[in-house]
Amino acid sequence: MPRAEPRTITFTIDGREVRTAENTMLVDAAKHGDVEIPVFCYEPKLGHPVGACRMCLVEIEGIPKLQTGCSTPVKDGMVVYTQSERVKVAQQSVVEFLLINHPLDCPVCDKGGECPLQDITFGWGGGISRFIEPKRHFVKPLELSPLIAIDRERCILCYRCVRFSQEVAEDYQLVLLERGAHSYVSTFDGHPYVAPFSGNIVELCPVGALTSRPYRFRARPWDIEGAGSLCTLCPAQCNVTVTVREERALRILARDHAEVDDGWLCDKGRFAYQSFHVDERITEPLLRDGGVLRPVTWERALSEAAAGLARAGAHTGAIVGGQSTSEEGFLLARTMREALGSRHLDSRRGGELDLDLHRALGAPALQARTSDLEFAHAVLVIATEPVDDAPIFDLRLRKGVRRHGMQLAVASPRPSALDASAALSLRFTPGAAAAFAVALGAALEGGDADVDGLARAAGAQPDAVRELAALLLGRAGAAGPGAEGSRPEREVVVLFGERILTGANAQPGARALLRIADVLGLADIDGAGLLEVPAAANGRGLREAGVLPNAGAGLAAPPTGDAGLDSHAIAGALAGGELNALYLHQCDPLRDLPDRGLWERALAAAGTVVAHAAFLTEGISEHADVVFPAEAYAEKEGTVVHPDGRLQRLRPAIAHPGSVRGGWQVIAELALRLGLDLEVLSGAMASAQLFEAVPFYAGLTLEEIGGRGVRWQERAAAGAFPQPATDPLHGAAPELLAPTSEDLEFGAFRSVWDAPEVEFSPALEFLFPRSKPGAPASSGNGNGNGSGSGGRRGHAVHAGEERA
Amino acid sequence: MAAAAEVTGRPILLFADIDEPGLRTLEVYARRGGYESLRKALAMTPEQVLSQLEASGLRGRGGAGFAMGKKVSFLPKGAMDKYLVCNADESEPGTFKDRELMQKTPHTLIEGIVIASYAAGVNRSFIYIRGEYALQAAMLDEALAEARAAGYIGEDILGSGHSLSLVLHRGAGAYICGEETGLLDSLEGKRGNPRLKPPFPANQGLYQGPTLINNVETLATVPAIVAIGGEQYAKLGVETSTGTKLVSVSGHVKRPGNYEIELGIPSREIIYGLAGGPPQGREVKCWFPGGSSSPVLTAADLDIPYDFDSLAKARSMLGSGAIIVVDDSTPILDVALKVAKFYRHESCGKCTPCREGTNWTVKMLERIASGEATPMDLEIMASVQEHIIGNCLCVLGDAMAMPIGSMIAKFREEFEAHIESARLARGLGGAAGSDAALAAQGAFSEHPETQLAHRGTGDQAPGAHEGAPGTHRGGA
Amino acid sequence: MTQQVRRFEHGSRVPGWDRAADLEKDPALVPDPDSTLVPAALREEIEAHMADYPERRSAALPALAAAQRVHGWCSPEAIEQVACVMRVTPGYLESVASFYDMLETTPVGRHSVYVCTNISCSLCGADELYAAVQEAAAGDADFNVRAFECLGACDIAPMASVDGVYVGPLTPADVPELLDDVRAGRSVLPEKQLARRLVADPRANTREFPSHPAEGGA
Repeated sequence: MPRAEPRTITFTIDGREVRTAENTMLVDAAKHGDVEIPVFCYEPKLGHPVGACRMCLVEIEGIPKLQTGCSTPVKDGMVVYTQSERVKVAQQSVVEFLLINHPLDCPVCDKGGECPLQDITFGWGGGISRFIEPKRHFVKPLELSPLIAIDRERCILCYRCVRFSQEVAEDYQLVLLERGAHSYVSTFDGHPYVAPFSGNIVELCPVGALTSRPYRFRARPWDIEGAGSLCTLCPAQCNVTVTVREERALRILARDHAEVDDGWLCDKGRFAYQSFHVDERITEPLLRDGGVLRPVTWERALSEAAAGLARAGAHTGAIVGGQSTSEEGFLLARTMREALGSRHLDSRRGGELDLDLHRALGAPALQARTSDLEFAHAVLVIATEPVDDAPIFDLRLRKGVRRHGMQLAVASPRPSALDASAALSLRFTPGAAAAFAVALGAALEGGDADVDGLARAAGAQPDAVRELAALLLGRAGAAGPGAEGSRPEREVVVLFGERILTGANAQPGARALLRIADVLGLADIDGAGLLEVPAAANGRGLREAGVLPNAGAGLAAPPTGDAGLDSHAIAGALAGGELNALYLHQCDPLRDLPDRGLWERALAAAGTVVAHAAFLTEGISEHADVVFPAEAYAEKEGTVVHPDGRLQRLRPAIAHPGSVRGGWQVIAELALRLGLDLEVLSGAMASAQLFEAVPFYAGLTLEEIGGRGVRWQERAAAGAFPQPATDPLHGAAPELLAPTSEDLEFGAFRSVWDAPEVEFSPALEFLFPRSKPGAPASSGNGNGNGSGSGGRRGHAVHAGEERA
Repeated sequence: MAAAAEVTGRPILLFADIDEPGLRTLEVYARRGGYESLRKALAMTPEQVLSQLEASGLRGRGGAGFAMGKKVSFLPKGAMDKYLVCNADESEPGTFKDRELMQKTPHTLIEGIVIASYAAGVNRSFIYIRGEYALQAAMLDEALAEARAAGYIGEDILGSGHSLSLVLHRGAGAYICGEETGLLDSLEGKRGNPRLKPPFPANQGLYQGPTLINNVETLATVPAIVAIGGEQYAKLGVETSTGTKLVSVSGHVKRPGNYEIELGIPSREIIYGLAGGPPQGREVKCWFPGGSSSPVLTAADLDIPYDFDSLAKARSMLGSGAIIVVDDSTPILDVALKVAKFYRHESCGKCTPCREGTNWTVKMLERIASGEATPMDLEIMASVQEHIIGNCLCVLGDAMAMPIGSMIAKFREEFEAHIESARLARGLGGAAGSDAALAAQGAFSEHPETQLAHRGTGDQAPGAHEGAPGTHRGGA
Repeated sequence: MTQQVRRFEHGSRVPGWDRAADLEKDPALVPDPDSTLVPAALREEIEAHMADYPERRSAALPALAAAQRVHGWCSPEAIEQVACVMRVTPGYLESVASFYDMLETTPVGRHSVYVCTNISCSLCGADELYAAVQEAAAGDADFNVRAFECLGACDIAPMASVDGVYVGPLTPADVPELLDDVRAGRSVLPEKQLARRLVADPRANTREFPSHPAEGGA
């Protein structure tokens, strides 16, 4: 729906005339005049202001009582005083009141030095306290969860944390108990506050009442530096600041980006930094020697790897995992194609997808922005569970429903955490995502296709599919904002999981998505579009860099002419002896790819397996012949692409541990030993090569990407995005699809919580999903299955409340 | 009813038949002319009813004294989910008039609600009654059942096309739910925390919909206004305080109870004439004119006319119309402590000055009582009250600070004398020694780490952490 | 009323303040209907309350009160049952329950005696009355004796609400009989019940009144 475009007005603050957008809250508007109004409870990310702390009282001409600047929208001609005697007295008294029961144990407080209460006391307090009664004292600190400690003496009852739990995460676990001066933050009956986004309350707390247990007493603010980076542990690619002390990451904070993460982080993103510095991390090159992986020099590892790959030559396959940068993928693709003459590389989970379909789905006009999830009239979430696949999208969707009246529809094989927020939830048979999309496309088109039959083939209720179509079209039966105007200008976003594009039905699934987009006119409406949640964090960037069997950089036709084998076919070819060597770049097929049985055979049969890995997960430890230590994201240099097309830059925040080297560098050195000079001597050179090779990135520089990223669709070069050779929808009728066992297998993704970074971070280990004793052992990759639950103590990623 | 008027000869509207046996049943109520006003109102247009309410000059009887007709007119017009909420969370100390109405003549309230809902174009209404009023809630339940059965509530009331649902909602014990936005949150099933205003309930109230909130007495007056006409009603009372008012008189009086008075009569007439004045041999020391939230007045103020503006001019307020009389046998400190402790207990904790200020004030008063205060504490206490007033999210903080502030201002000498005598009783010496004692107090502070050591297992008795009296400060 | 106030007594210690979360517990989510047993009558009552409001959360107070009648207090079990029926988290309900004075979050005796000790009642001797009730009921686990804020019956000060029945004016001498009535299940001090009180002395005000509503105007 249209986002408000406020008019600019002029108001006066402390005698200065300031121009700002109308209806901005005074505390924000004041900043345009270089005036700071102190706040504790105000945090726009949490929704409407509550005016509880009373710190922001200001004087407004014409209003007898002091007003809270956090809740007063600025109007044209308003005259505001923040320095008058009345205001000063009020500010000093609020500080005095707040300090009545605050322990002033700043010397031993983790927040000391970066504490809003300290700063505001210094800046706006009276400097003395007349309170001579004893302060209240409690046992402290106390555990609130395995991740968070609570110090109730320090709490100033600003309500931020409980508002987060109730109004952002909507898990309603963290609450205020008792009343008045007795009030305290707690949970029900001593249960821990365990939820996917719980760590945000630590960052929200304006005092040292909520502290991160992993960070407690690790550093003082003057010991640390902040380094901007972004988390590549899932496709959401939230912007983060790494707190660094002596080249070690000690903490991850959100680096608010309205177009990416909206200022929140999931607990994995916040705490998995511990995995950068654990003993399990591979920090030296390893070589299999007598069946055992032993540390060797880089020289030895590189030459052994080069020898093995050279032996296999064109019979080499390569898989690039999701944490790889686009540059790594690009350089590896060049190495495969130019040095080894191999066409067999992939960054997807397998399932043939024509290049034309890649191009049609990637068309710039069809791409939704992340913020469209919030402002659209309707969003269809199909075949993805955001909290398991890209957690931060879960919060964004909830916000859209809660704040902007967005209509949410969820189509999934299993109950979703978002069901409670959804206007419509429907289910289909596991593995039938593509079939469901076909049925929905037919229902939207409203032709003479057999919607009933198509829906039943997907295991969905035909009436529910029609209802969904009506909701997306904004027609009768789907009342709500924008309901009256039907098709034209109804902003709809389809957030789909890569599951639709995998397995035997990948192509019809892709065509069905295009049909849905076509009927809804998504390409023509600003604020509408498709948004894919790829299985791999940098899935989009790797594809655009040409890490596909059937495309070169920029989704060009493959430079090698014929298409190569996709990842699933690579496994088959390895097992069948047609391929002899395998290069794994930050990918363990046994964990990350479908069909574990086949991959076990493939890895066993491969003559040479070279892996670039950070952890000795099963596939690596048992099958790799050479292991290059991989970088953590905070060590990397390069770019990744957000699912909505935003190129974002990774900059090294911490030093490489052990003898870890840059990924681009390792590939370049390997290529050199294979006789190819990639001509990259720095990370920046690798990026420049990539930007040159991809026509729709043309002219990009790292400087332009900067700290906030750039959506390539919004640049002039986007016109160079390749058109499909033929219209994929031309002459295609809805196909009756039956889900196959292959679809089921391919549709089963691991949750982002089921990852080595979680398993090897001591603080997060309790969230790592393990089969509960007595539960039937699930087989192969079906394990994660997008549910994410089943943690050791029943980790609750599905924490939302139901709605009436 | 005519008989009652003849007997009493006084201006009674609400209490006309109040002690009539069985008045709370529909049968007796209807026999006494009940629901005639509703019929009359439904025969008019909603705009006409609204103009009667506006002409009556009726001001809200809950405490704020806002013009009722104007409040109704603030509601946006047009078809949307609008709500009417009757505030029956009568919790202001000293107030018990709404209880009387609901208990004795519940149908008057129901009739008033239906008429008001018609004027305001509202189809859903609620009565939020405080949980302690079990008897009154039960009687309202019975009356509601009768009214529903008789078609006074429900679909198409008396064939007028107007529909109204009415749900009785029981609170669970929280003074703050008498504050209109706290009440709305409580009615929505939340903690009864007041909301930031604006938005005002007339625009965004219950379930974010436009909401009209009125006190029981206000709504119960509506049938009488419709019956006699707004202009006629406005002739009662004085210009800016029209009509009659129920006054709850309690404390040190011979005949505590509810009295219906015409606004503007001298306060003395209520306290002495109606309620009989203080017990034999005692004098009025101070009195709260409008519940414990109103600044106290003294014997010198007894001739102030009892109406909204005259009391405001005397720097107090009519509030809920609850007069609490304190006679000269009671130390002002006791009164202040009771009042401060009440507001500390009832502060919701949402905003800082109220939560901390009420707590601090109680602690200071307790120190005065136990002889550990100096005259300087009185200054601090007065200043704390000033820092609370006007700076809170809702009026609860002011509701403590105003009466406490007025007590310090009007009875400063008594406070000072108490400080002095209590100190002497404790052996702390008189005011001359106060500076040294204060310095000793200021020097007292515990290091956080030492406290951790003290606290140990945490299984001590409540209060142990804070130290038993005299543990920390020498000189006792 | 002139009691010696303990210097550090400010009633600010709440048991929960020193309580850590038990990390062995699962997070408290909306209870699973399959594993949460709710007495049928309680479930029906809560569902009926939910039907009264446009939003189900509004039923929180009546639902908790209903559960308190069944369980004696808002125990964790009681709260989980309400949460299960209302489809909200138990944390939400505990937060609500702990806000309100009449919802008990610790076990209490089944007979409540709320003695009003607010200003009007204490001017008339409520503090002595409260002490007398406390003393007389001491050791009897059936009684939940509490000093309560203004109960809205200052006309019968000092007064008490005994299982919801208002009685007054009371003196310490009335206390034994009051408690005996409760123990025996009798109507409490029938002669002192508020329900029987007439409004006020009808001869008190003699000013003339020009018209009367029943007469339809002057």
